[in-house]
Amino acid sequence: MRPIARAARRTLLVAAMIGGVAALAWSHHAAAPVFDMSAEKTVTGVVKQVDWTNPHIWIWLEVQNASGQAETWGFEGMSPNFLARRGWTRTSLMPGMRITVTFRPLRDGKSGGMFMTGKLEDGKVLTSAGAE
Amino acid sequence: MIHDRAMRRTIFIVLLLITAAAISTAAQHSIPKPPAAADWAALARLPDLTGVWEAPTVGRGGRGRAVAPPPEPQLTPAYAVKKRELDARNSDDTEAANCLPTGMPAIMGHPYPYEFLLTPGKVTIVSEAYMQVRHVYTDGRPLPADPDPTFNGTSVGRWDGGTLVVETIGFSPLTTITRNTPHSDKMRIVERFHLTGPDTMSIETTVIDPEALARPWTTTRTLARHRDWTIREYICEENNRNFLDAQGKAGVKLTAPGK
Repeated sequence: MRPIARAARRTLLVAAMIGGVAALAWSHHAAAPVFDMSAEKTVTGVVKQVDWTNPHIWIWLEVQNASGQAETWGFEGMSPNFLARRGWTRTSLMPGMRITVTFRPLRDGKSGGMFMTGKLEDGKVLTSAGAE
Repeated sequence: MIHDRAMRRTIFIVLLLITAAAISTAAQHSIPKPPAAADWAALARLPDLTGVWEAPTVGRGGRGRAVAPPPEPQLTPAYAVKKRELDARNSDDTEAANCLPTGMPAIMGHPYPYEFLLTPGKVTIVSEAYMQVRHVYTDGRPLPADPDPTFNGTSVGRWDGGTLVVETIGFSPLTTITRNTPHSDKMRIVERFHLTGPDTMSIETTVIDPEALARPWTTTRTLARHRDWTIREYICEENNRNFLDAQGKAGVKLTAPGK
């Protein structure tokens, strides 16, 4: 498959996954009241810590703000149970890795959001639907 | 001699009373027989529901496909008012955000796997979400008349041909039929589990509640079996940063590590 077609397919898959997860009535919590599900933002930083925990994994990133100061950003992912069955491991993301995260921003404007995809420096992509 | 005879009669009457009391107790709490080899062998003749199952609504590689939302339950006028009152509170979320298990019927609708275990006289359903266990007795016992209300209710099951029919009653008022839709203490749930393929199972769930529902509410869910999966631990309180406060506002505790 050509790269563009693959990227398009992946985008569709991720969109379907996010939509699918949001549509389930009995997820752990409703996403829309907390995250702006219509917005998509991107931030690049260095992984500070990964909480491989239930009910959600949390990815903590150190990001340089516009004035060059380090800020900590937090991203809620799926559960380790869900991700471990779809290619992730607890070492897929390690402290020190540089990563570009695509996310649904927190509605309260704080530094964080719902993790959608993470692109590693080696080109590997981790998504909320699985590792590719 | 007369003295002896009187004594014997007294002993006889006492024994009679003890026996009667024992029989009466046994009738109230019949003690199941320990399973024999034949009971274990009989399991092999039942449809094989064992293993780990998950609804294929989420997943990777196109296996997942969107499912139509289930039909809404039709409420009685009195419960339609209750639902409108709860809707008007405009709560962002449910107590599940605070890690309260959802109870029946919602516990069977999570995007997490279930393990089915068949042992003589019992089917055990382990829900990975919230680490819940449902105990379904298939040894022929009737449902108790008035069980204590619980999140997952009290269940008995029977085999109707190839279908496991489970009937559940006795639900905590902290559970709902669906969001903002309370049930009465008359709620009864009938589930029909049957294999539709080597590794697919259909679950038809009917909620019956003459006080809350204008008519029984039936939904169907299909699960796919994953022979290579095991159930993982799910401690919701491990690192739950989501919350729903007393005013019904949802949020996230974003406390960065080391702060």
